[in-house]
Amino acid sequence: MVWARSSILELVLVALCLVLAFQAEGFFTVGNLLNVLRNVSMQGIIAFGMTMVIISGEIDLSVGSAVAFAGCVTAWLAQWLAALGLSMVMALPLAMCLALLLGMSIGALTGLIRVRFAVPSFITTLAWMTVLTGAAQLITGGFPLTPFPEWYNFFGGGYLFGVPFPALVFLLVFLTTHVLMGYTSFGRSVYAVGGNPEAARLSGIRVGRVKVVVMASVAFLAALAGIMQSAQIMSGSATTARGWELNVIASVIIGGTSLMGGEGKIRGTLMGVIFLGILVNGMTLMNINEYWQHVVRGALILAAVLINRINERSRD
Amino acid sequence: MNPVPQPIQLEARGIRKEYPGTVALKDVRVRFEGGKVHALIGRNGAGKSTLVRILAGSTQPTAGQVLLDGEPVELRSPGDAFQRGIATVYQELSLVPGLSVAENILLGRMPRSRGPFIDWTSAADQARAVLATMDVEMDVDVPVGRLGFAQQQTVEIAKAMSFRPSVLMLDEPTSGLARHETRSLFRLVGQLAEQGVAILYISHRLQELWEIADRVTVLRDGDHVATVEMAETTAEEIVHYMFGETVQKERPADLLAGREPVLEVRGLSRGEEFQDVDLTLHRGEILGIAGMLGSGRTELLKAIFGALPFDRGEIRLSETTCRRVSPPDMKDLGLGFAPEDRKQEGLVQTQSIRSNLCLASLDRISNRGFLSRRRERRLIREQVDRLHIKAPDVEEAVSSLSGGNQQKVVVGKWLGTSLQVLLLDEPTRGIDLQAKQQIFQLMWDLSRQGIAILFVSSELEELVEVCHRILVMKQGRIRQEIRPENTTADQLFVQCM
Ligand SMILES: Nc1ncnc2c1ncn2[C@@H]1O[C@H](COP(=O)(O)OP(=O)(O)OP(=O)(O)O)[C@@H](O)[C@H]1O
Ligand SMILES: [Mg+2]
Repeated sequence: MVWARSSILELVLVALCLVLAFQAEGFFTVGNLLNVLRNVSMQGIIAFGMTMVIISGEIDLSVGSAVAFAGCVTAWLAQWLAALGLSMVMALPLAMCLALLLGMSIGALTGLIRVRFAVPSFITTLAWMTVLTGAAQLITGGFPLTPFPEWYNFFGGGYLFGVPFPALVFLLVFLTTHVLMGYTSFGRSVYAVGGNPEAARLSGIRVGRVKVVVMASVAFLAALAGIMQSAQIMSGSATTARGWELNVIASVIIGGTSLMGGEGKIRGTLMGVIFLGILVNGMTLMNINEYWQHVVRGALILAAVLINRINERSRD
Repeated sequence: MNPVPQPIQLEARGIRKEYPGTVALKDVRVRFEGGKVHALIGRNGAGKSTLVRILAGSTQPTAGQVLLDGEPVELRSPGDAFQRGIATVYQELSLVPGLSVAENILLGRMPRSRGPFIDWTSAADQARAVLATMDVEMDVDVPVGRLGFAQQQTVEIAKAMSFRPSVLMLDEPTSGLARHETRSLFRLVGQLAEQGVAILYISHRLQELWEIADRVTVLRDGDHVATVEMAETTAEEIVHYMFGETVQKERPADLLAGREPVLEVRGLSRGEEFQDVDLTLHRGEILGIAGMLGSGRTELLKAIFGALPFDRGEIRLSETTCRRVSPPDMKDLGLGFAPEDRKQEGLVQTQSIRSNLCLASLDRISNRGFLSRRRERRLIREQVDRLHIKAPDVEEAVSSLSGGNQQKVVVGKWLGTSLQVLLLDEPTRGIDLQAKQQIFQLMWDLSRQGIAILFVSSELEELVEVCHRILVMKQGRIRQEIRPENTTADQLFVQCM
């Protein structure tokens, strides 16, 4: 079913590309396509982690704030370490690592709270969303921090072998999560935990550990995206990445993952991410007004979920 | 009782039901009359539940008609069936765990006092009244999720009863019930039949049929094989209709339990549920636990497996003494556990048969965390062959299997692990005669390999047939140890009371 659905999505995607190729000027150029890839990369990276989280029966609403927070923490730490007398070449990588670690720990903490105290991740991450936005504002004092040296831009705007660096990370994260979910025993456990936690527990699967790991993973990926984002805009800003969580969740759902948990595919999310990216790019190229873009995107999410439901029902 | 002038007649005519890869029913024609109890039997996957689902309006047939009193009726949804007085107790429970017993029984029909407000007192009274007609006493305010499987099944039956149905279909209602509850269910069914209700009754316990049914219909692989009066038939004849020829397997003579203890439980206690339980399981031994519903047997098994915490006592397994245990740790020590409630606890319904069969042995089919398709395929093939799981394709969702075949998956997933001790809670629930023999055979094979089995069953005959020793559990304590050679199911029943 998931397979059939994602091939529907692939067909629609091809059709969309054909339409855009004829309608939108400059759509089918290498430059533009790479541009699409770069634009979807940051959110796409998070979407793969989010897919695992949703399959395991949880959700993370704080990823948008976590992106902003990670960027600000990196900037602030780099500044602070540099002030201590460290050279930027040392300070910045250290700051990046610490930001990743901090992001991951926050995710792990969400997982632990979920496991120990049975607080739904929906609530905990909703709280984190506010906390992290606030914390980012506090760190930056309301203004973007700009301690970054020129070379830092590579992580957000640079090219490697002619491909944008974030796009390479995007592909790498795709491959890793795809293998993890499809070909490892951990992946199987994630599906089982989301499908029926009690049955998973009684099969001797460490349900708690699985939940902590997936929550930590998505938070890590959000922090990674945050660093790349800050490198692209060359500042740590508390207001960046507003509302990303919705785009991320939308691409996961368009890709056929069930919000009920237990079902979904990383490959579907890849399609969902690219689909949304091309749609936005095409609409922009065709000068469609931004408000309309929102309406179309929203309608699309609804349509995707409806197709999902109808397919599920026809199974009986 | 007001006499019904013309007994109600429900007829299925030319019913065919196709699923991808299987034909569940082929041109089935049966008629059920008011005032009679009709048994519907057949091996696992014969199509019994499918027929019930069609008559209940929850599945649509590929072809064929349903007639009520000679008139064709359209049953497009369960609501249509309810309106025509057809109530159903499905094989898999469909209660809302968070709601109380009363709310579940009256789901969607809670009495109102004024405006939109629910009249809780009268709701509780109504629920109690329904339960009273069934001779059951139960606290109607507790959430259903806290009840055991058999009690939930009782609530499910009460729910169907509360519709005052003229046709009542019961899909394996006794599969989770012990003798006492079965008795009161039979009394109730008898009363209803006297009142003119048509009863459709599915069971794998053949002996029951003579007590309860007037007529029996046998399905085999979707075909209607025979309909005969109970009074005019014998068990052999029915078994022959069900399976063609069969061989009844005897308990092999060479089954010896070893001397070395593999699992020792000392002074295990948990709240009100069980106290000071001592038991020792030796290598290759099959130890039965007999007990009524609520005797604490399920909780005991779960506590040994680490799925429920215990207050006092210790468990010794594979030279390791444990005071606090968790399922993954116990699995690593060689323990396996097949729970009684396959839908909630045994299976991941959304996943394929393949994934479910591998669930407990993921580490054995993977290499440094990566799954080996080859090992996985071998494991699956072994289990499917060994348990004769009837599945067109192991990639299909496990929920597409018939009830009995799902049960085999619950047991089968442990066979690929490095087992020392297997805990089985009602492993034969909903399994047909032949499959039951296969499970017994499997238990004996495991025993020969030195694997010890702790076996809980409500069917005392099974315990007497299969076990080396039987412990009688009553009100949370082990009261007695019995040798099956020296007892019969009836004597055992008396001990359990
Ligand atoms: N939703 C479904 N999708 C695909 N196949 C199905 C579905 N439901 C039932 N089947 C198939 O139809 C056949 C009949 O199943 P059914 O559940 O009616 O058997 P049953 O007689 O009730 O067996 P049991 O005694 O094990 O409960 C089986 O082969 C089963 O695999
Ligand atoms: Mg059935």
